[in-house]
Amino acid sequence: MKGLKFFFYHIRRNPLSIIGLVLIVTFAIIAIFAPLIAPTPEGQFDSYMIPRDGYASTPEPPSAEHIFGTTQGQYDIFYGVIWGTRTAFQVGFIVMGAVLVIGILLGSIAGYFGGIIDEIIMRITDIFLAFPPLILAMAVTIALGPSIQSVMAAIIIVTWPSYARVIRGDILAVREEDYIEASRSVGSSHLRVILRHVLPNSIYPVFIMASLDIGAVVLTAAALSFLGLGVPEGYADWGQMINFARNWIIGTSENTFAYWHAVTIPGLFIFFFVMGWNLLGDSLRDILDPRLARR
Amino acid sequence: MNKLVEIKGVSINFYTYEGVVRAISNLDLDIYQGETLGLVGETGCGKTVAALSILRLIMPPGRIESGQIIFYSNGDKPTDLLAIAESKIRTIRGSQISMVFQEPGAALNPVYTIGDQITEVILLHRKQELASKALITLDKLLVERDSLSTRLFRPARIIQRRLYQRMSDNPGTRLLGFVERTPIIRRFLWRLEKEAEQIAISLLKEVEIADPYRVIKQHPHQLSGGMKQRAVIAMSLACRTRLLIADEPTTALDVTIQAQILELLKRLKDEIQTSILYITHDLAVAAEICDRVAVMYSGSICEIADVVEIYKNPLHPYTRALLAAVPKPGKKLSAIKGFVPDPLDLPTGCCFHPRCKNARDICKVKEPIPVEITPGHFVTCYLYDGEKLENSG
Amino acid sequence: MDFRSYVIRRLLLVVPVLFGVSVLIFGLIQLFPPYQRAMLYVTDPRQMANIDEIIELYGLNATIWEQYITWINQVFHGNLGWSTVVGMPVTDAILTYLPATLELAIFATPIIIIGGIWLGTKAAANKDKFIDHATRTGAIIGWSLPTFWFGLVLMMVFYGYFSGFLPPERLSTEMSVLVHSASFTRYTGVNFLDGILNWEWGVTFDSLRHMILPVVTLSVVNVAFIMRLMRSSMLESMGKGYILTARAKGLPENMVINKHARRNAMIPVLTVSGYLFAAIVNGVVITESIFNYKGLGWWAWRTALMLDIPSILGFALFSGVLFVLTNLVVDLLYARFDPRVRLGGTI
Repeated sequence: MKGLKFFFYHIRRNPLSIIGLVLIVTFAIIAIFAPLIAPTPEGQFDSYMIPRDGYASTPEPPSAEHIFGTTQGQYDIFYGVIWGTRTAFQVGFIVMGAVLVIGILLGSIAGYFGGIIDEIIMRITDIFLAFPPLILAMAVTIALGPSIQSVMAAIIIVTWPSYARVIRGDILAVREEDYIEASRSVGSSHLRVILRHVLPNSIYPVFIMASLDIGAVVLTAAALSFLGLGVPEGYADWGQMINFARNWIIGTSENTFAYWHAVTIPGLFIFFFVMGWNLLGDSLRDILDPRLARR
Repeated sequence: MNKLVEIKGVSINFYTYEGVVRAISNLDLDIYQGETLGLVGETGCGKTVAALSILRLIMPPGRIESGQIIFYSNGDKPTDLLAIAESKIRTIRGSQISMVFQEPGAALNPVYTIGDQITEVILLHRKQELASKALITLDKLLVERDSLSTRLFRPARIIQRRLYQRMSDNPGTRLLGFVERTPIIRRFLWRLEKEAEQIAISLLKEVEIADPYRVIKQHPHQLSGGMKQRAVIAMSLACRTRLLIADEPTTALDVTIQAQILELLKRLKDEIQTSILYITHDLAVAAEICDRVAVMYSGSICEIADVVEIYKNPLHPYTRALLAAVPKPGKKLSAIKGFVPDPLDLPTGCCFHPRCKNARDICKVKEPIPVEITPGHFVTCYLYDGEKLENSG
Repeated sequence: MDFRSYVIRRLLLVVPVLFGVSVLIFGLIQLFPPYQRAMLYVTDPRQMANIDEIIELYGLNATIWEQYITWINQVFHGNLGWSTVVGMPVTDAILTYLPATLELAIFATPIIIIGGIWLGTKAAANKDKFIDHATRTGAIIGWSLPTFWFGLVLMMVFYGYFSGFLPPERLSTEMSVLVHSASFTRYTGVNFLDGILNWEWGVTFDSLRHMILPVVTLSVVNVAFIMRLMRSSMLESMGKGYILTARAKGLPENMVINKHARRNAMIPVLTVSGYLFAAIVNGVVITESIFNYKGLGWWAWRTALMLDIPSILGFALFSGVLFVLTNLVVDLLYARFDPRVRLGGTI
């Protein structure tokens, strides 16, 4: 009951958190109902490939047939952004899930056992963290051959080190607590101690970090697609759609905004998706952070 | 004795997400010049809030709902500290009324030296004096005209002299404010800092720190707890305070250090003739150092008396219970039954009634008023309210 | 531990990390067939005709260890291979394109740090008031913006709509011609500096005009990041005991915030500034690709697109090493300035 009271008090003080929730739920609905909202044309096998209405390169403005218009190469924008939502969720969750698993695993081992194991794992994270993320992701994507799987793998490789470090830090703090020693003294195995005592107490900050980071992950994936390094051409991905639009931002000689739809619409989708996760993550952090005075 | 501070009917509430906390209700307290008044009570009874309210340092979500705090400073007319402007009360904070907190480590800023932090308060409040001192040194330097260095620096020193003259006459002018704020010109005022440093060193000697010249240059984390607290005390005495509020200054220290600090405070009290409001939960400490003792419970005062009187003749049931609860070898431990009330949900009437052996019906309904039993000895309890009780019958 | 041992320990740590960095890059290299790996050792396009000899010469079919030694040896000699995309050795390419990126970084970094710190302080000092909400909303927007999209929109507005007001690339055609002509000495390669040094102010203004949009694009996301960090750091700092003491001393509120709270709050922000460098290198790839601004980022992008392995991996190695060294410097500076570390004693 107390938690609920605090929750509403917090919402009242900070309306932005509701916006975040609403955004995410909206996107989730779009993703789930994608086949209904933007049905795949008859005969097309892979739903993730955007249908093309011809091969002309000039984007077409919104019309009855193409609600959001078409972009370079006559790809339907509406279809692209709807199914792109699915891609975004996929990338976000798969990458985040893998990062959490690897990070928590390695971080816990490092933090709990300490000593030389800790040093080795920390050096390994140092090495991965020594690169600007995008550069490393680019290198990995190329090394693995451009495809959506390599994009995901690249981002996973780039992101897991920070999580391992955070979990390790929390575990180091928790490890010194008396109840750990108490548990060990009555004969609990290492595994039991980790699972039952250490992890539940140290895991909150990591989840908060994760919710804040999903946005960043999707942004990086979009950036890689934008640079042309990710998904195959025509795949329903927001980043790629912006890439298609990049040559058309100047518009025609009479109207600079002639092709605004090709640039703006996919961009807005990315923007609101990431913002939703950022707002949600922010609120989660405000709610769960014990250091902020509960006023 | 003359009054120094008169707290009249102060109530302070805190507005939290769980409800309104009545930290202090209708507090009445007088502090006389030159005395050491002890404020004794359990944790959470509102002692610190009361102390902070004197300096008007209650921050949101706390709010001072009502009351006055009259301050009788030398010569000036009495002022209500709760009503004056922010700029005025800033001149009082740190100079006429200063405060020492419980955790010396937390009170000091880790990135600045001890010297910096002490001179900060001196520079803030004693500018005129510092300027006059600097003038004396400057005048001596300006008289000599022989050596190369005096002739070289002469123009700069003349400018300095004019600045310091202005400052010792009237520190508040806009020109001086401008000079103080501008990064490079500000260096002209370096002599003030030097003078302030001299004062800081003598202060550190006062608080019995062995090597003040070294400590001045050190950072808080390089000092022990006892030394830090001494430095904080030095900081609070820097501007000849009239009232020193000490909020459990020794609670965080070892017992031996505690004794030393208490001795120090007793000595300073005699030398400097400042009043002290000594807040503590430790009855023994209060007995050591205080002239009068006030006992506080859940935001109001139960009993005030002379220190000897209150220990010999405690009247309020709470005071009695507190004194009885002090462990004595051979005697069975006696605790006060019940719990400290939840500040969100205070009992009606007299706050202590759920735990009081002598509670009567009226205690649950209406709050009692302080009654003077013997001169200077006030109790807030219906047990001693004989006549009033008969009247309301 | 005291300063000396901290410095020594920190320096020693750099070695295994650098080694690990090289191993990682080498590992990525190994994912490619020998033909492509051979490109790493080519210093002249004519050598490409004799690829098999190269493969033999550098032992690309030998064991991993030997290959690593060979490769590392080459790296220490400054040979990172040949960049097919720009037709010059990779090392030369890096040196050629570095000034352009440096130019952007020189302008973006102070904006990011100073802007972020100032906004963060203001937001924390006025918590829950309008300015706090406004800056936080701005920060959330900035942090959620895809930089590439933002840059495109900016270009759409300022180049397209305001017909050429803030154009892409580094210099306009005429200035470009001037810069490459005989009468202009390129001392640094950084255009606006060179313009001043040659007393050709036209060049300086032109390059500044071209830099506005890229710098803005680069800064926005990072200012948001620093601002949020500063804000939470300030809030934590302002809850500390010494703030109450400062107020009790009678200090005016602005002094309490600026002198006491901010100094402490800046410490975590400054330690993060090393990562800021990485964020700029990150952002530079996208920003330069959008604005066709021929710096390191632009080059990295084109090489990645064209699968020019030596270039992209050479660049990764370069930024990795640079990043490790930058962090080292930041850590040492931090140790120097935080008295708790510098002077030892219990913390």
